[in-house]
Amino acid sequence: MSLTPLHAIFALMSLFTVGGAVGVVLNRNLIYAAMYLVLSLFGIAGLFILLEAPFLAAVQILVYVGAISVLITITVMVTRCVFCKEPPPRQLTLVAVMAALVMVTLGFVIMTRFGGLTPAADVPADSIEQLGVAFVNPQAYLVPFEVASILLLGALIGAIFIARDDLPRDEEAVGGDDHA
Amino acid sequence: MNLPTLESINLLAVLPVLIVFGWTLVLLVIDLFIPSGRKYWTAWLGILGLLGAAVALAVRFIDARGAAVTAFDGMLTVDGFSLFLQAIFILTAVIGILLALDFLPRHKIERGEYYILLLFTTGGMMIMSMAADLIVVFLALELLSIPLYILTGFARPRADSEEAAMKYFLLGAFASGFLVFGIALTYGGTGTTSLVGVFNQLAEGEPSRDLALVGMALILVGFGFKVAAVPFHMWTPDVYQGAPTPVTAFMSVGAKAGGFAALMRILIVAMPAVGEAWGMLVAILAMLTMILGNVVAIAQRNIKRMLAYSSIAHAGYILVAVSAAQRPEDAPLAVSAAIFYLLTYAFTNLGAFGVVLAVEREDGSGNLLEDFAGLGRSKPVLAAIMTLFMLSLTGMPVSAGLVGKFFVFQAAINASVGNPWILAAAIVGIVTSVISAFYYIRIILIMYMQEGEPQVVLKPALTVALALTALATLILGIIPAPVFQLAKDALLTLVG
Amino acid sequence: MDSLFALIPLIIVFPFSGVVIGVFFGRRLMPHKDSIGPGLVASILAGASFVIAVLMFIALQGHPEGVEVPLATWMNITAGDRVLDIPWTFKIDTLSSVMMLVVAGVGTLIHIYAIGYMQGDIDEQIAKRGFEGDEAFDFKRRRYSKFFTFFNLFLGSMLVLVTANNYLMMFVGWELVGLCSYLLIGFWFDDPVKGVYNSESGKKAFIVNRIGDFGMLIAIMLIFWTFGTVQFDDVFARAECMQAESQEACLTVSAGEAVHEEAEGEHGEAARPYLTPVALGKIGTVTLGVVVTIITLCLLLGATGKSAQIPLFVWLPDAMAGPTPVSALIHAATMVTAGIYMITRSNVLYAMAPISGTAVAIVGAATALVAGTIAVAQFDIKRVLAYSTISQLGFMIAAVGLGGYVAGIFHLATHAFFKALLFLSAGSVIHGMEHGHHHAAHHGHGGDDPDFDPQDMRYMGGLKDKMPITTWVYIIGSLALAGIPPLAGFWSKDEILLDASLNNQLVYVLLSISAFFTAFYMGRQVFMVFFGRARTEAADHAVESKPMMTTPLIILAALSVLGGLLNLPGLHSLAHWLEHSVAHAHTAEFNISIAAISTLLGLIAIGLSWLLYGRKPVEAGQADPLRSTGPVFTFLNRKWYWDELYDTVFIKPYVWLGEFLAVTIDWKFWHDFVHDRIIGDAFRGWGAILSQPIDQGVVDGAVNGIAQLVDGSSQELRKTQTGYVRNYALAVALGVVLVLGFLAFRFLM
Repeated sequence: MSLTPLHAIFALMSLFTVGGAVGVVLNRNLIYAAMYLVLSLFGIAGLFILLEAPFLAAVQILVYVGAISVLITITVMVTRCVFCKEPPPRQLTLVAVMAALVMVTLGFVIMTRFGGLTPAADVPADSIEQLGVAFVNPQAYLVPFEVASILLLGALIGAIFIARDDLPRDEEAVGGDDHA
Repeated sequence: MNLPTLESINLLAVLPVLIVFGWTLVLLVIDLFIPSGRKYWTAWLGILGLLGAAVALAVRFIDARGAAVTAFDGMLTVDGFSLFLQAIFILTAVIGILLALDFLPRHKIERGEYYILLLFTTGGMMIMSMAADLIVVFLALELLSIPLYILTGFARPRADSEEAAMKYFLLGAFASGFLVFGIALTYGGTGTTSLVGVFNQLAEGEPSRDLALVGMALILVGFGFKVAAVPFHMWTPDVYQGAPTPVTAFMSVGAKAGGFAALMRILIVAMPAVGEAWGMLVAILAMLTMILGNVVAIAQRNIKRMLAYSSIAHAGYILVAVSAAQRPEDAPLAVSAAIFYLLTYAFTNLGAFGVVLAVEREDGSGNLLEDFAGLGRSKPVLAAIMTLFMLSLTGMPVSAGLVGKFFVFQAAINASVGNPWILAAAIVGIVTSVISAFYYIRIILIMYMQEGEPQVVLKPALTVALALTALATLILGIIPAPVFQLAKDALLTLVG
Repeated sequence: MDSLFALIPLIIVFPFSGVVIGVFFGRRLMPHKDSIGPGLVASILAGASFVIAVLMFIALQGHPEGVEVPLATWMNITAGDRVLDIPWTFKIDTLSSVMMLVVAGVGTLIHIYAIGYMQGDIDEQIAKRGFEGDEAFDFKRRRYSKFFTFFNLFLGSMLVLVTANNYLMMFVGWELVGLCSYLLIGFWFDDPVKGVYNSESGKKAFIVNRIGDFGMLIAIMLIFWTFGTVQFDDVFARAECMQAESQEACLTVSAGEAVHEEAEGEHGEAARPYLTPVALGKIGTVTLGVVVTIITLCLLLGATGKSAQIPLFVWLPDAMAGPTPVSALIHAATMVTAGIYMITRSNVLYAMAPISGTAVAIVGAATALVAGTIAVAQFDIKRVLAYSTISQLGFMIAAVGLGGYVAGIFHLATHAFFKALLFLSAGSVIHGMEHGHHHAAHHGHGGDDPDFDPQDMRYMGGLKDKMPITTWVYIIGSLALAGIPPLAGFWSKDEILLDASLNNQLVYVLLSISAFFTAFYMGRQVFMVFFGRARTEAADHAVESKPMMTTPLIILAALSVLGGLLNLPGLHSLAHWLEHSVAHAHTAEFNISIAAISTLLGLIAIGLSWLLYGRKPVEAGQADPLRSTGPVFTFLNRKWYWDELYDTVFIKPYVWLGEFLAVTIDWKFWHDFVHDRIIGDAFRGWGAILSQPIDQGVVDGAVNGIAQLVDGSSQELRKTQTGYVRNYALAVALGVVLVLGFLAFRFLM
């Protein structure tokens, strides 16, 4: 197998992904950590492209690199002294050893026991269309799709509940009278 | 493209869960128009919906006569097992609402969202018991978990409640990560997420089955967290203590049963080919769980913490039953033992928390063991009921707990022929049951032997809940046969 | 020769690799305080880009029709039978070649200039902040390398813009240069005195440009909507096809074989089946002409943003807050010409929409006049040049609007030379003034005036003896800008006036008046800055800049003198060159009377300025002679009150509307009235009636045991704090290791 530019791109994207993740963990400045997270998520989007899944890549970029990172960044900005350094992590060695152990064990199993790569079938030309249909097809992924929608609704209600500013008050104070 | 037929979708088979979800969505809107201070309307309407689902479930049960069918082309399996567990979930939810009815206004946290979220998580559990595809399993698990995270923090702005929610959420997300990783590896090893597909691939001795094996281990980790098995249990005491007590009661039963439902379906239905491996792992986890849970419970002075460790210990007993199901020929008995145990545990534990609720004060105090002192004199009936629950948790005669434990150990010993690990787990289980008597009976002693002035608030809804659970605990203890017959008929089946 | 084209990706690889180097090694390249490592590396890479641009120019001699070099697939989305395929392909033709040469060439010179300039600029900042020792060194190292990182990023982005072969890729470059502009305008966002103004200026530029980008995006969407592609050649081929045939028949049309030779070698397929989402002519009365007019007007909106035309020019004067090399490179020579390039590139579309063409010409001419008059009444040396830039951009826009694409591009090139020259010389002057200011302060000459502004022309005067090289090149640049023959500006401006006189008399008149003002304000500036007596101590002690800075000035001065050779009347070398890529390029024959009138106007204006500022130089503290015009001067000095107008017309109503919606509609009406009164009270009433029988025993025991509350909860809290989440997570991880380890040893070994 000869090296092609794809290998280089794969290596680069993997580097982004893994390096970004390491950066998130090791960086003591929250904003920088968030930026590393963006890098890592971006690397994943790159890997999706390499896997010929441009739609997933686009979604990854839109949702994770775009929306979620912005959310995280804003959250960091409103909750803390943004450019303060966090105290150095405790038990770093122990944690590192533990993480390394998990990685080595999993890595060993996957490297030695993986039954070999079967080349994926060609991505059909209308893959996005098929995906769209599968989500609403009762014979395909309708159930997960609907469960996910209810899950999101539940999470939404929960988030609103948590974020709501009207803390418990007297019995007389009934809904809507709480002028801040 | 084949057009889906009504038969392949099989909406009728999943009618109970559809009722729960549909009614919850309606209730969500109705709740907007119920003024605060009258939120018990939401609660009663929620119970109404659950009863509707229960009726649908009963109709389905009579209709099916034990036959298993799939819905949505194999995404969901409606078999005896899932019907039985759905009954447990609905019961738990009804009692969970009854427990909260008085609690919430007393603690000034009465909000309609409480009941809505509780119904959502109940629906998640019901899906969980039917899930026949790993993707559905994962989504159902999240649907079960996320509302629970929020319910845990429902006593906002009480710091311990918020802290518990945060801990539960962070660790839950961490464990979910492992679960998803496990699912991914299983998919990598077998090329499918459907349980039937996994079963077929593993049965053929796929070359990548080792990968699925690792996947199985990580799935076990994910569910181990949900059911609070050692060493994934550490969140339990903090969260159980910090969460509002009705939530603790509900989650100690519901979340555990939900976790076990999916765990058993995955391991027993889809992975019998690697049964030896997971059987051994589960047996080891079971032993660790029973020992740690029971021993540490002794040291607790807070009753919610004590019940948390007790719930860890009980997860160990159920794990023994799961481990005993590792060979297909032993599986039916072990599975019925496990789900019967879950049922008895549900009634007993909910009841015990009900008593805790009655003794708890508005400020969240009153949870120490000493607060139960003198209960035997001032509230003899309540003390008697609590005694019953404690005996049942220990596994003493004339209580459901004994029957549950008996069936579990019977199944384990049956399956232990040629498998020393299961035998060891069964022996550890029996020994730790004896140890557990120490802290359960201590409560009884405190109630009757020590002087004290417990402040008990007993409202109608709570009374109903206590009566219900006590009666059930007693009946299951005296005449368990009819219900156990139901559990025995509730087979876990591979359909697809 | 062909193989040279394959080098084209290097033209952006060089500057972008400079960015990477700058980010990761920038500080290490600067081992000591006076080292110029980062600047040197950046300049060499810019120079390398220029070399590539020259090679492309040479290669094009054999293939004047141009080539497209595919680099990568950027977007390829298939949905059913519809395809959206947008590759990242370089377009090398005579037009982009001119742009590459100008951008990379002038860019390189300014990079070199900045090596010296930024050293001084950063030292100035360090002095302002009172940094010393390691702190000062660290600050300098950080900012110096950061500046050149941004600079290289800009150069690469600009080259992405001009080498794109489709509108979307061009838009990427368009946005990237906007970002660089923002970063560099606010480069001294932390300046202790002007930091807020600097960052506000950056924000203003960014936001105003967003409005233009909005138009640009709509235009691109409409183009795709109509033509099913965004690739330049295909769009134009289909647009011309649709004039004759139905939309459907044209949707598979692709540009000529010759152009696609290279691309087809890669893909091995002919025209791809593009289909547009919506068919033309089927909804309402939309016809091709209407759509193209809308497209071109939207593109014009984009151009008014980037090229600072009415109504969006307000950002450019404030953009002078950036360091001077930034003003020279981005806000005079290159980025702001993107709009002209884009319109020239779209000439086929503009040819189909005469209304849009006229609109472009009017916008350009009006801008030229308005900005030219404002420039007359400014005192800040860079602001004068900024308004002059807007005015000259107006000339170019007017030219391309009238179809004089050659004239527009010609003026773009010569303007890049002499305006870069003027800005850099102004930077040299500022530098000298600051030096003089420090000198004066040190020697107790009373030069510590806190209001001292090294950019204010009223503080200058008599600099010609102190800074001879700067003076001479500045005068050359000024004469070129004023359009005095035989300097470069004369030829290009004359060409524009010629086109205007033939096509649109109104535009011609407006532009001629602007040309008069141009010569006047440049004369005023030269006399105020370099002649007369020094009006401050600082001006008296100013010194000439280092050779590192003056060498680029001399080269640019030479280009300003000789730039006219590009397209001399009679030869029309540039016109012949461009006609390969600009289908509607045309040129008019030299008209001696037009040239004479414009030269005469220029000379009169310079003479007038000499009368006012040269004959009797303005003394220190003396008011500007133009002040005698009273309100007219104030009106011009306050820039026609343009910012105030926007504030009144847009910003204030916007804020008012926001408050109205929030306070009156949402809170007072919706919340208080609808929610509380109508919904709340009604349902509260109903709820009370319905729930009365069951509403028992809710309020109970709410007043018990406050003492125990405090005691008990603190106890509980203390306990819950004993467990750290991270320890719990660690336990889970430990469990994973154990489970996997057990599995591995027992079943997998």
